[in-house]
Amino acid sequence: MPGANLGSGDLRIQGRLRLVGLVIALVFTGFGLRLFQLQILLGEEHRRKSEQNAIRTVGLRAPRGEIVDREGRVLATTRPAFELQVLPVGLARRELVFDALAQLVETEPEVLAERLGEPRGSARYQPVSLVDDLDFDALSRVESHRYALPGVVTDVQPRRHYLAGDLAAHLMGTIGEIRSGQLEQEAFQGYRSGEVIGQTGLESLLESHLRGRDGGRNIVVDVAGRTVEVLDEVPPEPGGRVVLALDLDLQQAAERAFVELPQEGEEPWRGSAVALDVETGDVLAMVSRPAYDPNAFAGGIDSATWKSLTGDPWEPLSNRAIQTHYPPGSTHKAMVAAALLEEAIVTTETRTFCPGHFRHGRRTYRCWKRGGHGWVDLHQALKQSCDVYFYEHGLELGIDRMAQIARSFGLGRRTGIALPGEVPGIVPSKSWKERRFGEPWYPGETVSASIGQGYNLYTTLQLAVAYAALGNGGKVLRPRVTLRLESRTGELLSQVQPEVTGRVAVAPERLATVMRGLTAVVEERGGTGGRARVPGLRVAGKTGTAQVVRLDKTEIYEEDEIPVRLRDHAWFGALAPAEKPRIAVAVFVEHGRHGSTAAAPVAQRILARWHEKHGPQEPPQLAGAPGPVPPQEAP
Amino acid sequence: MPAIDRRSLQHFDWVLVSLVLATLTLGFAALFSATQAGATGALPSEFRRQLIALGIGAVAFTVAVVVDYRRLERLATPLFVFGLILLASTLVLAPLTRGNRSWLVYGPLSIQPAEFAKLALVVMLARHFANHPPTEIRRLRGLLPAGLLAGSVVGLIVLQRDMGVAVLTLLIASTYLPFTRIPARSWAGLSVVGVAVLAALWRFGFQDYQRKRVLDFLDPSRDPLASGYQAIQSKIAIGSGGVFGKGYLEGTQTQLQFLPTQHSDFIFAVVGEEWGFVGCALLLGLLLATLLWGLVIASNSKDAFGSLLAVGIVGLLFWPAVINVAMVLGLAPVIGVPLPLVSYGGSHLLASLIALGLLLNVSMRRYVF
Repeated sequence: MPGANLGSGDLRIQGRLRLVGLVIALVFTGFGLRLFQLQILLGEEHRRKSEQNAIRTVGLRAPRGEIVDREGRVLATTRPAFELQVLPVGLARRELVFDALAQLVETEPEVLAERLGEPRGSARYQPVSLVDDLDFDALSRVESHRYALPGVVTDVQPRRHYLAGDLAAHLMGTIGEIRSGQLEQEAFQGYRSGEVIGQTGLESLLESHLRGRDGGRNIVVDVAGRTVEVLDEVPPEPGGRVVLALDLDLQQAAERAFVELPQEGEEPWRGSAVALDVETGDVLAMVSRPAYDPNAFAGGIDSATWKSLTGDPWEPLSNRAIQTHYPPGSTHKAMVAAALLEEAIVTTETRTFCPGHFRHGRRTYRCWKRGGHGWVDLHQALKQSCDVYFYEHGLELGIDRMAQIARSFGLGRRTGIALPGEVPGIVPSKSWKERRFGEPWYPGETVSASIGQGYNLYTTLQLAVAYAALGNGGKVLRPRVTLRLESRTGELLSQVQPEVTGRVAVAPERLATVMRGLTAVVEERGGTGGRARVPGLRVAGKTGTAQVVRLDKTEIYEEDEIPVRLRDHAWFGALAPAEKPRIAVAVFVEHGRHGSTAAAPVAQRILARWHEKHGPQEPPQLAGAPGPVPPQEAP
Repeated sequence: MPAIDRRSLQHFDWVLVSLVLATLTLGFAALFSATQAGATGALPSEFRRQLIALGIGAVAFTVAVVVDYRRLERLATPLFVFGLILLASTLVLAPLTRGNRSWLVYGPLSIQPAEFAKLALVVMLARHFANHPPTEIRRLRGLLPAGLLAGSVVGLIVLQRDMGVAVLTLLIASTYLPFTRIPARSWAGLSVVGVAVLAALWRFGFQDYQRKRVLDFLDPSRDPLASGYQAIQSKIAIGSGGVFGKGYLEGTQTQLQFLPTQHSDFIFAVVGEEWGFVGCALLLGLLLATLLWGLVIASNSKDAFGSLLAVGIVGLLFWPAVINVAMVLGLAPVIGVPLPLVSYGGSHLLASLIALGLLLNVSMRRYVF
């Protein structure tokens, strides 16, 4: 190879080399001229600027996008918050200034001094925030005295504001300063420390859409910290809008029910409630109580509030509708009934005698009604929630077939809702128990499972999805939280389509039979769900009462004296209108004792509000909502 | 191995060595001033690290001088492949720092493979053009092999998401273009088509958010405001130096650390503030003299490889210097490119010293044939 080389003489590049040298020399001459301009022509000016270097970068935070309900009512927005700042370098006679300031903003001078600390070096040129969210009166007082307060500046920053307070708090989630661990993640490229991001709920999930883009300006300030000149500015871009499937009216009705229904002297109820559109899976309401006020997080949560939230044994920060699961109690009977029909264990004619208890092996299983229900068929068994009927036929069905059909309702797996932290729940079967405990399944456990007592664990959302499937002919839907993402000016960016994630393995006419039984629960005399009745609306539903501890543990107490933590959980699953369901509701009242007295009334409130809006009169046409249903007489 | 013969020693290039030593002296003095601000202890840690890099660089420089550069011609391909592997390994091994993956970290040691890949590319291109003289290339397609060589390096750097260095590498490779005989209308045609396609794609093919996404991908640390701040402070620092400067270690901008990266990208601003117009002119003069002397070496070399190697090395030093100084003087956008021999950065200093060693090597052996 080297032999093939040419000498440089053969290259004939001498001319070009001279040319290149000339170009390089020209470029450097240009630099010389620029230096002459900067250092000699403008030297004085630059020297002056450097001596009182008062150029600061001020961030302009992008307002977070709005979150609105399906009718455009604002749930979360951004409001201006006034910040009281001082510029350490401009702060002369700080004791005097702090004394005066403390009076104006009604605090102690020591508090302000502590916020300031002892900035050194270039940090002295950066303003320090003393009060984050100044109320308007204090702001006016400071502004009118500012001539006497050198170094004191007020600044306006956007702050997240949840108009509805703790309403739908768990759906909204929380925002908070980005953690150092998050800064290192790929997903948070381009974020700076100190930035505020969505930490939980939709705020976290839709962070990239809601965030917008921060801007800022470089400004020249005088010794008092006032802006003299804006050198350049990058305006912030506000974040996009999120339109939820939520109906604020239903949400409000549901939240209020938990507070207003308990009797005088009783604490507000804890638990969760979910309302779904039966055809689209729209999450019309999602409640988790106790809740928190997400506004407390908007400006960086103070440690006292944070401790009271995280230290609360009732865990107000967890979203009970999706993040915790509970034994479903008798609400599970709807699914077992469907399975019994589908597997031809029973027909509508099958009658069973309930003496108030059921013997299997050496154990006796009680019906909730001590005296027994006498002869019952499926319709009566559902209506009166007879345990013995389900014990007996559930045992014939067997746990695996029960599990298979329960799973086809979407139970025992995540619904796929677009919210973080959903738990899958449990639908037990023989192989499940083998895997989980390494033990065989005992037939006695099938007896318990038939009434939703035992290993079964569902979330409130799962129950709502299962009931919706019961009401819509067998479609298991993915719950839809967000209808669409819009730009801040309202242009449609993306839309979420309803999604069927599975089919119930039960023929529609058998589901209809179960529906008739559930209608009787609410609408017929002697049904357990009478308290869910809404005038003018036929409601189908099922109560559930889930034991928290074994009966003999609580039998030593009078009913009202059972410690709260040992009381049974109350459930209610509902569908309306019964003739052609459009809304499914699941209510869970933690330690609420009876499905019929605690959970059913909550469902009633939600359904009544829904009926007011969509009831016999013309319902407003909404995206995704089915058209009006002609009123029809029930059979 | 007959490392160095008498004849080569007789033609030892004192001019080049003096220029390099003078530039290094100025550079290290400025670096000390820039790093001692806010630092505690005897020697600022960055300054100490740079001194260590200088020590290693001196050894590497010597090796680069002693071994006859024509041996390098045969080593070009393995070196180039090694450079590519090193670059590719960053994609897997390098941690994400400040938005890109340019650094290989091994204990206290961290190296920037791109710096060495650039040098390997120059050696490779020099050999390629020595076998396919640029003066015989009359059509664009004649540039295809060279383009592929450069493209492979640039592509890997783009994947590291280090846009500044990718553009820089492309410019360095383009140093050879003026020596081809491709007619001007070909270039005009190519640029018109290229610009039109890109512009059309940008304007019509992309949505707003996609454009934003592309920009964010190309430069994750894109922060227009911070760059604006740096540019303003940089101009004030330089301008306030006046004719003679504020005096060594007396620059208020420097000592109060108004420039966030004053020891690396904005080191020239420190020179401007503390030594004024005189200091800047001296430093720029030294750099210019070094570059022009490099062209002289290219012209005097008796073989094509040596000549073209010298041209490439001039490009390797010229482009970062120009981009850096233009940026500091507020004539170009802020992109992180170091000033050769002056900015803080071990890999860059080491690679520059090896390159200058090779230049000296070519210079010394100009009469060997």
